[in-house]
Amino acid sequence: MAERIDVAVIGAGPAGLAAAIAAREQGAERVVIIKRSERLGGLLPQCIHNGFGLLYFGEDMTGPEYERVFMRRAEKAGVEARLETMVLDLGEGREITAASSRHGYMRFRPGAVVLAMGCRERARGTLGIPGGRPSGVLTAGTCQRYVNIEGYIPGERFVILGSGDIGMIMARRLTLEGARVEAVVEIMPWPGGLIRNEVQCLHDFGIPLLLEHTVTFVHGEGRIAGVTVARVDAERRPVPGTERFVPCDCLLLSAGLIPENELSLKAGVELDPVTGGPVVDENRQTRVPGIFAGGNVVQVHDLVDWVSWEAEAAGRAAARFADKGKMPFAGKVRVSPGENVKYVVPQYISGKEDVTLHLRVTRPGRKAALRLGGKAWKRFRSVRPGEMIIEKVPVARLSQFISGGELRVDCGRGETGEEA
Amino acid sequence: MSYAETEVLIIGAGVLGAATARELSRYRVDVTLVEKNVDVGWGITKANVGVVNQGKDTLEFRPEYRRSHLLWRSLAMMEPLCAELDVPFRKVGGWEMCWDMKMKEKLDKLARRTESLGLGKDRFYWYPELKEMEPNVSPKILGGLHDPDIAVVNPVYLTQALVENACDNGVHLMLETEVLDMKAGHHWFEVATSRGDFRARYVVNAAGEWVDKIAAMVGADDFVLFPIKGYVGVLDRRCEGLVNGLVSVLPEEPGDMNIVVPTVEGNLLFGIQLQINRRGDHSTTEHMARKALENARRLVPDISRENVINAFCGFLMLRNYEIGWHECEVGMSGRVPRFINMTIGYPGVSASPGAAAEVVEVLRKDGLKLEPDPKFNPRRKGIPDFSRLSDKEKSELIRKDPRYGHVVCRCETVTEGEIVEAIRRGATTLDGVKHRVRAGMGRCQGGFCGPRVTRILARELGIPESEVTKKGGDSTHLSCRVKDILGKEEGDG
Ligand SMILES: Cc1cc2nc3c(=O)[nH]c(=O)nc-3n(C[C@H](O)[C@H](O)[C@H](O)COP(=O)(O)OP(=O)(O)OC[C@H]3O[C@@H](n4cnc5c(N)ncnc54)[C@H](O)[C@@H]3O)c2cc1C
Repeated sequence: MAERIDVAVIGAGPAGLAAAIAAREQGAERVVIIKRSERLGGLLPQCIHNGFGLLYFGEDMTGPEYERVFMRRAEKAGVEARLETMVLDLGEGREITAASSRHGYMRFRPGAVVLAMGCRERARGTLGIPGGRPSGVLTAGTCQRYVNIEGYIPGERFVILGSGDIGMIMARRLTLEGARVEAVVEIMPWPGGLIRNEVQCLHDFGIPLLLEHTVTFVHGEGRIAGVTVARVDAERRPVPGTERFVPCDCLLLSAGLIPENELSLKAGVELDPVTGGPVVDENRQTRVPGIFAGGNVVQVHDLVDWVSWEAEAAGRAAARFADKGKMPFAGKVRVSPGENVKYVVPQYISGKEDVTLHLRVTRPGRKAALRLGGKAWKRFRSVRPGEMIIEKVPVARLSQFISGGELRVDCGRGETGEEA
Repeated sequence: MSYAETEVLIIGAGVLGAATARELSRYRVDVTLVEKNVDVGWGITKANVGVVNQGKDTLEFRPEYRRSHLLWRSLAMMEPLCAELDVPFRKVGGWEMCWDMKMKEKLDKLARRTESLGLGKDRFYWYPELKEMEPNVSPKILGGLHDPDIAVVNPVYLTQALVENACDNGVHLMLETEVLDMKAGHHWFEVATSRGDFRARYVVNAAGEWVDKIAAMVGADDFVLFPIKGYVGVLDRRCEGLVNGLVSVLPEEPGDMNIVVPTVEGNLLFGIQLQINRRGDHSTTEHMARKALENARRLVPDISRENVINAFCGFLMLRNYEIGWHECEVGMSGRVPRFINMTIGYPGVSASPGAAAEVVEVLRKDGLKLEPDPKFNPRRKGIPDFSRLSDKEKSELIRKDPRYGHVVCRCETVTEGEIVEAIRRGATTLDGVKHRVRAGMGRCQGGFCGPRVTRILARELGIPESEVTKKGGDSTHLSCRVKDILGKEEGDG
C-alpha cells in the first residue's frame, strides 16, 4: 500500500464514520477507514434500544438505524474502507503498521491520522472483586453482544454491578427476554448513567437499584453460584455485618468505560489521566502533530450524537492538516477543571475560535452554577456526574474569561448567573 | 471386571507429572498420564510466578535438604529443555534486596554461602548502582544482591510442551479422568477413575494439591503437607519495563514474600501474599489483594491499583511448615512398593527436570525395564506467536495462511491462525485457548474476544456455542439461545 492516503481513520464506529465523512467534505481526497472486522460500523448494531439521534437528527432512532444513516453518508462521500485490517502499531511520523487476512501485512504513512478506537469496559480484574474465578462473570457490553448479535443468553438469574448505561439497558433487555435481574448494585450514592435509563430501564420494570452497595465476593469455581452484596460507608468500604448472599448464575459488570488508547500510547500521544483519553486542543489535535482524536477514545460520551459531532471536528481538522502538512497545536490557553469539575475537554484552546466545552462534575448537586474564569456563565437546577455538560462559548465572550493563559471552569453551588 | 492396563500410571498433568511423562517417553515403556481437569497444567502449575530459581535465594536451600539437590540438578537442564520444546525462556536476572544494614548482613551471609556451595558469586550493589539496572525500585532500598542467572518461563506453556512431546513419543494422555480410589495389590495397583478402571504396575502420584489424599488411598501418606495459599496479582502490559528482572526483598518475617517479576510475555506479576488456608478454596480475598499491592508499591512505587488487571491464588504444599518450608517428597514410598510420591511445594517448576530424572532412576532401580526408544524425538515446535515475528515473517505467514492476518484478541494481538492451532493442539475451552495463545489474557480479560473465540471453538470442535465452556465441567458461559429461556421458565411456575 505505497499509494498516498490523505487521512487514515482508525476505527469505524460512529466516531470513525463521522470523522471520515467530515474529512472528505473538507476536501481530503483519499480518506481511508481502517477496520478490524469484515464490515464497517462499530458497536451500534448491538444497541437495539432507542434514544439515538435525538440531538443530531431531532429523531428518536435505534443504534442500528443511527449507524445505517452514517454508513450511507460515508458511501456517498466516497470514503474508502480497508476492512478485516487491524492496526498493530502507530509509530514515528504517523507510520501505521497493520495486518489483514485480505491485504496481508503492511506499513504506510498517511497525511493525517484520526484516532477513533472508542472505549472498552472495565473488566473484573481491574475492579478487583475478590472470590473465585468461575464462568458467568462478564461485562454488560459483552452480554449485549451475546444477546443481540449472537442470539445467546448468558444466564437466567443476574446481578448487575455498576449502574452504567449499558448495565441498566441490559437489565431491561434481560428482563424482557425472561431472565431475572435480582438487582443493580451501585457503589456510589447516585446512579452512574442517565436518569432516563434509570427510570425507563429499572423503575419501569421494578428492578431494584441498590445505591451505596457493592459486590464483595464472587462465589463458585465452575459456574458462578452467587455473590455477596454489602453496604458501603462514606469511604466506599464495605460495612461489616451488612453482607448478604445473592444467588445468581451471571454477574454483569457495568462499572465504567475506559477510552481505548493502547495505539495512542504507542504513538507517544499524551493522555489525560482523568479522562483516560488524549490531551487535545479545540481541533481535537493531540500533542503529536497530525494525529487527531474524536469520540469515546477522547472522553466517554453519554450520547452518540456528541460522539459524531466531536469526531467531525477531528476529521475536518485532519483534512486541513493533510492538505497543508502542518497545523500548530492550539495550546495558548489551558482549560483547567476547578471546583466540582472532574475534567474538561478540550484541555487546550487557542482563545481565537468559538469553543464547545465538554465537562463532567465530580459530585451531583442542586442549583449548581457553571463559572468560567470565575464569572457566572449558567445555572443548573441539578448536575450529576452521569450527565455530561456541554457548553458552546462564542469567541466574542471567551476573552473575558481567560486570564494568565488559563480558562478556569467551576461548577459548584452558586447564586448568580443565567438560568439554564 | 475388565481393566485397562498400563505399566506406569502418572496421576496429575502438572509440571511434575508432565516432566516425568516426557522423561519416560524416551524409553519403550507403556505410560498413561491421567488428569482430572479438561486441560493440562491447570493445578498449582497455573498459579505460579514462573521464576526459574537458582537455589540460593534465601537460607532455604541447604545441602541437607533433598529439594536443594533436585533443584541444583535442574539448573543446567532447564534452558536446553526449553530450547528443545520451543518454550520461551528469558534470562532476566534477579535481585534480593534489603532495606537496612541488618538485612544487608543477612544478604552478605547468603552471598558467602552461595559461593562456598559453588553456586557462583553474586555481587552486592548499593542503591545508586542498583538504580542503573532497576530505576523504578524505591529509593528507600539500601541495596541488593544480583543474580544474573535468574530466568522466567511460563510454567503452563512448559507443561503443555512436555505433554505434547510425551504424547508424540507414545504416552497416553487421559483428560477429565479423576482418580477416585486405589488399591495396592501384590503386582498391580487397581485404580478407579471417573473414566473407568485401570491396572498399573507403578504409580507416580503427582497430584499437586491432592497428592497426600491420593497417597492415603493406599496408605503411602507418610508425610504431612500444609496447604499455604499464595496470592499473585497481574499488572497490565503497560507496566512492562517497570522492573527488568525479578525484584524481591529479603523477608523481614518468615513467609513474608514480596516480589515483582516480569513474565515471558511482558506483564508483571506481584505477590506472593501467603496465608494458611483450607485446600480447594482458590478464592482471592480483599485482605490478600490489599496487602500484596501495599507490599509491591513499597518496593516499586509506580505500581498502581489501576494497572492490576487480574489476580489468582495457588497452593504451596509445604512439608514441615512448622520448622520452615524446606522439604519435598520425591521418591519411592517407604510403605508401599512401586508407589512413587512426587510433590515439591516450592520451587516445583524450577526443579521439575531434575525431579523427573530422579523418578526415572528410582523406577529403573526398582527393576522397571527401561530400553531407550530409538524413535524418540526430543523436539516439539511451539505455536507461532504472531505478535513477536519480524515484518517479513508476518507477511509470509499471512500469505501462507490468511487466518494469521485476522486479529481476534486486540489486547494481546492474537490471530485466528494461532487460536485454531491452539485448538488443534488440544485446547477445548476458553481458558485452554487463553493459556496457549493469550487470547483473553489482556486488560479487557476477554470482554472483546470472548464471543469471537467462543465462535471459533464451536466451529472447530463442531459443537453449539452454548456448549463451549470457560474451563470444562459446569463452567458454561452461555445459558441457551435467546427465547429458549422462556420455555425453561414455565416449569418453575
Ligand atoms: C503462588 C505460587 C507461586 C509459585 N512460584 C514458583 C516459581 O516462581 N518457581 C517455581 O519453580 N515454583 C513456583 N511455585 C511452586 C510450583 O508452582 C509448584 O511446585 C509446582 O507447580 C507443582 O507442580 P505439580 O505438578 O506438583 O502440581 P500441579 O500443577 O497441581 O499438578 C497436579 C495435577 O494433578 C491433578 N490431580 C489432582 N488430583 C487428581 C486426581 N484425583 N486425579 C487426577 N488428577 C488429579 C491436578 O488437576 C493437577 O493438574 C509457586 C507456587 C505458588 C502457589
